[in-house]
Amino acid sequence: MQTTTITRMTAAGAPPKLSRFARWADRNFKWLLVAPAVLLILALSIYPLLFSLVVSFINYDFQVPGHAFVGLKNFSRVIFDPVARWSLFLTAWLSAVSVAIEFVLGLLVALTMVRSFPGRGVIMSILIVPLFISPVIVGQAWTLLLQRPFGPTNYILTQLLGQEVTIGWMTESPWLYFSLIIADVWQWTPFMFVILLAGLTAIPPNLYEAAELDGVSAWQAFWAITVPHLGPMIMLALTFRLLDAIRMFDTIFIMTGGGPGTQTYTASYYLYTVGFTQFHLSQATAGSWLFLIFTAFVVTLLVRRLLKTEPV
Amino acid sequence: MAEVKITGLHKRYGTFHAVRGIDLDIRDGEFTVLVGPSGCGKSTLLRTIAGLEEISEGTIEIGGEVVNDFRPRDRDVAMVFQDYALYPHMTVAKNIGFGLKARKMPKAEVETRVGEAARMLGITPLLGRFPRQLSGGQRQRVAIGRAIVRNPRIFLFDEPLSNLDAQLRDEMRGEIKRLHQDIATTMIYVTHDQIEAMTLADRIVLMRDGVIEQQGTPLDLFERPASTFVAGFLGSPRMNFLAGTLALSGSVAAIRLSDLLLPVAPGRNLDGATDGQAVLLGLRPEHMTRARGEKPAEGMFRQEATIDLLQPTGSRSYATFRLSGAPVMAELQAHDVSRPGESLPIDINMSRASIFDALSERAL
Repeated sequence: MQTTTITRMTAAGAPPKLSRFARWADRNFKWLLVAPAVLLILALSIYPLLFSLVVSFINYDFQVPGHAFVGLKNFSRVIFDPVARWSLFLTAWLSAVSVAIEFVLGLLVALTMVRSFPGRGVIMSILIVPLFISPVIVGQAWTLLLQRPFGPTNYILTQLLGQEVTIGWMTESPWLYFSLIIADVWQWTPFMFVILLAGLTAIPPNLYEAAELDGVSAWQAFWAITVPHLGPMIMLALTFRLLDAIRMFDTIFIMTGGGPGTQTYTASYYLYTVGFTQFHLSQATAGSWLFLIFTAFVVTLLVRRLLKTEPV
Repeated sequence: MAEVKITGLHKRYGTFHAVRGIDLDIRDGEFTVLVGPSGCGKSTLLRTIAGLEEISEGTIEIGGEVVNDFRPRDRDVAMVFQDYALYPHMTVAKNIGFGLKARKMPKAEVETRVGEAARMLGITPLLGRFPRQLSGGQRQRVAIGRAIVRNPRIFLFDEPLSNLDAQLRDEMRGEIKRLHQDIATTMIYVTHDQIEAMTLADRIVLMRDGVIEQQGTPLDLFERPASTFVAGFLGSPRMNFLAGTLALSGSVAAIRLSDLLLPVAPGRNLDGATDGQAVLLGLRPEHMTRARGEKPAEGMFRQEATIDLLQPTGSRSYATFRLSGAPVMAELQAHDVSRPGESLPIDINMSRASIFDALSERAL
């Protein structure tokens, strides 16, 4: 017969008493720990922000000496500049169209990839490669592909259509918008795809099984199960992408340089040109504030909608 | 309503052999419970009947028709899932009626049927609510409502009560049993809980490692377990197993534990057993009682015991003591023992004892 002896363990006792200074240090040590981060934010974020606010109300133009107070003149210069207004419109239009196409394509790919099949992993890795490429390189690559007369695009189209195609993809309206959208869609559809796929895989498979037993068709199941479940993810993906798309700069810089003329100026490109090539710094700063307000408006709308989507 | 006939069913996932040759006949209107430890293949078997898993080998017949190649929707079965699987963006009424709507039933009839199902389950006041506004028990009622509203040939339940707390589980168990009495449709119910299996089933199918270990009525399995596995799985507290040897002399048999000789009840069939065979003696806690009277009754074996550990539940007291060196738990009356260390005579009902071969663990 096996016997076990259990002995009582000695008590651990109360924690040691601290001196008054030790207690004070114990309570306030946390401030010392957060101080570097706070200082860094103050120096690199808060100070430049406040300084830019000051700059937008004074003369800070490299071509005009002095820093006199000019009231709202910097703002009115931007508002009454037709190029500024065009760039804002183009930003909104390009973002909306690109993101809409990316969403539809991303959703279609995600729906295809949600089921497992042989080779899925490899295909998935290939699909998300564009995300790892710098937008500048993406712009370069598309420039090479579309360039006239050496790019292959026109040549392939000529072969396919059986008649000479000589489109100036980076110089002729409306083709240049098409080029910018295609570069953006190529790079960012994988982002939509990844987020929507994550959303799709999070839907409990039981729901589809219950629907199958209920005799619900695939189309009905898509609207009754997939779309409502994916709602928050769709909002998230659209918000992220739109916020990113309205900053569109790199591909424009590389592919069209804003041209021909000012036809492909987006808001970011416009502000860059005014500020860093013409050195009207106070006008560019005022424009940035206006753009910030416009962006904040869009963001607020989107984020409010995002937060309102009900949890399941 | 329909009977189910499963013949030579196998299910493999790659190299993993989940279900290894099941033959099962389920009669029309019968309540069959598939029970077993996790990973025994019971849920897989249920899902193959629903058509949610393809089978690797064998046939499944529902109502005399081979349904191997039928899609789940065409098998006319309804299933209740462990996590309810309600459509979260639909009200209770829409959840229950969705299957009917999908099958193009006229709106008025859908409403009538939904109302009727809700009344049966006592969820009429909840019809306008969303699943997230319901408690676990209410959600499970809705899930059951979604199943009964279609009036399917077979109901399948996949551990429907596992996500509920103990009290609610008892309550819902009673309701499912009543539901079966009322509508008398064939029901197949998967659980790992032996109490659910015992209380609900007309027939228990106890599975282990992808095969059926034993099937029969609950009392069949409980009183005449075919193996130590079945004996240990059913009943709580568990059956006590004591290693010993069989002592046969003429028509008298006994089991020799290290320092005890327990007579086997006369008339017990021990065909094929040999003298000196290593056996396991199975004693259920409820078959040991505090001895009363001068002499033990027919078939009882009396033994003085010193209680090591006492676990009172209020109505009963579980007392652990040593029988020939091995710990044994007995289920005594609440006031039979007052504290550990106490000694008392225990009567062991040898006519109810089970005897298993120690090697094969099968019943003798």
